[in-house]
Amino acid sequence: MGDAEPLVRWDWIGRNWPDIQGLLVDHVIMAILPVLLGLLVALPLGLASARWRVLYQPTVSLMNVVYSLPSLAVFIVLIPLTGLANRATVIIPLTFYSLAVLIPAVVDGLGSVPAHVSQSAVAMGFGPMRRLIQVDLPIAVPVVLAGLRVATVSSISLVSVGALIGRGGLGYLFIDGWQRQFSTPILVGIVLVVVLAVLADGLLVLAQRLLTPWARARRTA
Amino acid sequence: MNWLFDFFGDAANWSGSGGIPVRVLEHVEFSVIALLFAMLIAIPLGLLIGHTGRGAVVVVVAANAARALPTLGLVVLIVLLVGVGTTWPVLVPLVALAVPPILVNTYEGIRGVDDDLRDAAYGMGLRGRQVLLRVLVPVALPLILLGLRIAAIQVVATATVAAYVGLGGLGRFIIDGLATKDFPSTIGGAVLVAALALVVQLGFALLQRLVVSPGVSGRAQAR
Amino acid sequence: MITFEGVTKRFGDGTVAVDNLNLQVPTGAVTVFVGPSGCGKTTSLRMINRMIDPTEGRILLDGEDIRKIDPPALRRGIGYVIQAAGLFPHRKIVDNVATVPYLLGWDKKKARARAMELMERVGLDTKLAERYPFQLSGGQQQRVGVARALAADPPVLLMDEPFSAVDPVVRTSLQDELLRLQAELQKTIVFVTHDIDEAIKLGDTVAVMRVGGRLAQIDDPPTLLAEPADDFVEGFLGKDRGIRRLSFVPAGGLAVRSEQGIPGWSVVLDDDRRPLGWRAEGGRPSEGNGYDSPAKEGDPLEGPVLNGTRPERPPAGEARTRAAAAGLQPFGTVDLNKDSLRAALDAALLAPSGCAIAVDGEGRFTGIVTREALDAALARATGPADG
Repeated sequence: MGDAEPLVRWDWIGRNWPDIQGLLVDHVIMAILPVLLGLLVALPLGLASARWRVLYQPTVSLMNVVYSLPSLAVFIVLIPLTGLANRATVIIPLTFYSLAVLIPAVVDGLGSVPAHVSQSAVAMGFGPMRRLIQVDLPIAVPVVLAGLRVATVSSISLVSVGALIGRGGLGYLFIDGWQRQFSTPILVGIVLVVVLAVLADGLLVLAQRLLTPWARARRTA
Repeated sequence: MNWLFDFFGDAANWSGSGGIPVRVLEHVEFSVIALLFAMLIAIPLGLLIGHTGRGAVVVVVAANAARALPTLGLVVLIVLLVGVGTTWPVLVPLVALAVPPILVNTYEGIRGVDDDLRDAAYGMGLRGRQVLLRVLVPVALPLILLGLRIAAIQVVATATVAAYVGLGGLGRFIIDGLATKDFPSTIGGAVLVAALALVVQLGFALLQRLVVSPGVSGRAQAR
Repeated sequence: MITFEGVTKRFGDGTVAVDNLNLQVPTGAVTVFVGPSGCGKTTSLRMINRMIDPTEGRILLDGEDIRKIDPPALRRGIGYVIQAAGLFPHRKIVDNVATVPYLLGWDKKKARARAMELMERVGLDTKLAERYPFQLSGGQQQRVGVARALAADPPVLLMDEPFSAVDPVVRTSLQDELLRLQAELQKTIVFVTHDIDEAIKLGDTVAVMRVGGRLAQIDDPPTLLAEPADDFVEGFLGKDRGIRRLSFVPAGGLAVRSEQGIPGWSVVLDDDRRPLGWRAEGGRPSEGNGYDSPAKEGDPLEGPVLNGTRPERPPAGEARTRAAAAGLQPFGTVDLNKDSLRAALDAALLAPSGCAIAVDGEGRFTGIVTREALDAALARATGPADG
């Protein structure tokens, strides 16, 4: 980092702001959609694994395997199916990563419902569906949300790897900066990714406060 | 399948400085060194804040924010600033990746130990450090190992991006293959990384069985 | 001897847990701190091994201010048993018991041998030694907790509601076990409970504490039952104080009639002279074992045949059935050498004849305690001379 070339050239940011905005939107879509899809799939799968315990171990093992696949490798395997530089190529693997985090979270969350609570709900005449929605799920919220936070932050960070196959949202800035040996876009990319993640995390913490007014956020993780 | 035969069946891929054995070793080297550094930072810190309860909120929030750091961005930035030549440009992002899960799990593990157990340990006359090392750590070990396992797998999977800036490791098969449209190489590299990650999974499962007291894991099963 | 001198504990939030506590815990006896939750009994106990330090005042252990002793060293010389047992889940039972000996640097073999000895002592099968805590029942875990506290043979034992998490049957057996152990070991025991019956059963001295951490009364159980210091203590002691106090009056002073019956009733014995029941007859003592006489039709047998407070000599199931078939009436026995006046009264109330059957240590008939004899003893027990 010589004197000739400053670490950040602020004028570059100003000139390219419209492009950066576009990448930001693309990034958000590719990061959030997998988490939402993951949650949508993880809830029924998690409920099923919590009800029929035999399903739990195979599901978790499978998710562990999914989790150990390198994201880049999965992107590449999908290219022949979904095409290079396609959003789906990034969204599909990230959905599976979200699942890997969220399914155990849903199962653990339902497991955190004390037996005496769900039993007294049954004793008071709650049907299975009503009990699930009014009793079990609300109590499971903190654990599920903890999983959702990890999934969201990881997803936001991982999207950038998609840049290597031509579709990585803010990750494009890393490739661009590397190819032009120019640090400003790289720094802008890193900062925006982190800010985005922290913002999303903060929103989820807020959601947890609103959803579980009875439990002051005691645990920090 | 044909691609895999093309890649693994080619004798040229098994020898020389760019051969599979060398790339695997490079990959393992990055991963192990990064993991060791991360452990050196995260475990003592996690034990400290878990045991004393001081500074926990700040550290855990910082660790969660660090999860957001994009590895690819950090790698290219560091290489751009300091140049290639050593492996440490790739180590810094990998350590940053590995610290949060180890730190948070160690902290939660120690923090989550039953208060009665802590009380009994002090009441027996154990000193602070004895309570930590002889009681809290053995009881928290499953969670600490889980953190290490998650970190190890993320490191192994993510170390592939080092290849983008010209460093070695299994990422080379993937990135180079991508650049030259050599699909067998790309798929082969991906399979190798996945296999390595699975070996790590199995290794940790074995380690867990060896070092966690049956009295602790037995209870985990009973729950 | 443990001495509390003007001990006060104020917590950071301003709550006063213990307020100017002055008391002495005598050596070799059981002192129970009892009171409702929030009375500071546990805090008082935990100040003895410096798990908590007092805000004001001092605590002396055999004359030495405990603040001058390094807490871990102090604690290694004081056994500590808590409600949840607090066993180390990652260690086998034998190693749990040997915790303090290991800390004191005992040779591993010696520490383990000591642990095995203690397991037997507290009534645990030594086969459990190689198990882990989660494989034991709550009652067994509590026994391990007691064994662990005794491992280094500390002169002082602190027990914080040790038996309150187990079911009543197990609790009773643990209490009996503790009394048996204490008769052997004569430790200085401080025992915390919220259960006044447990306090009265176990304590040589009972300190009743009230909310706000003040000592309401400290006395031996009979005095406490007879003369509660104020309304709070009286209310805390609960109902039936008079009857419960009779537990502390020995039955030895009762007059015994050696005949085998009273007018209208006779005691039927087996070949071994153990009582089988009362028979309502023309006042004629029965000959032999009485089993040859046929049961009268419609002869009532009210309630089960019990023998009062002596569970070690119940009539065998078969004998009981035969006694019932023979038309015998329920009875209760009392051993004048061991039992209390309360047990004698209870034995009398169990029988339609209104009399208790006196037996020896083997459960053999020695005589009959009549209503008149009980009346006389009760009059003596409640008389003004008592105290």
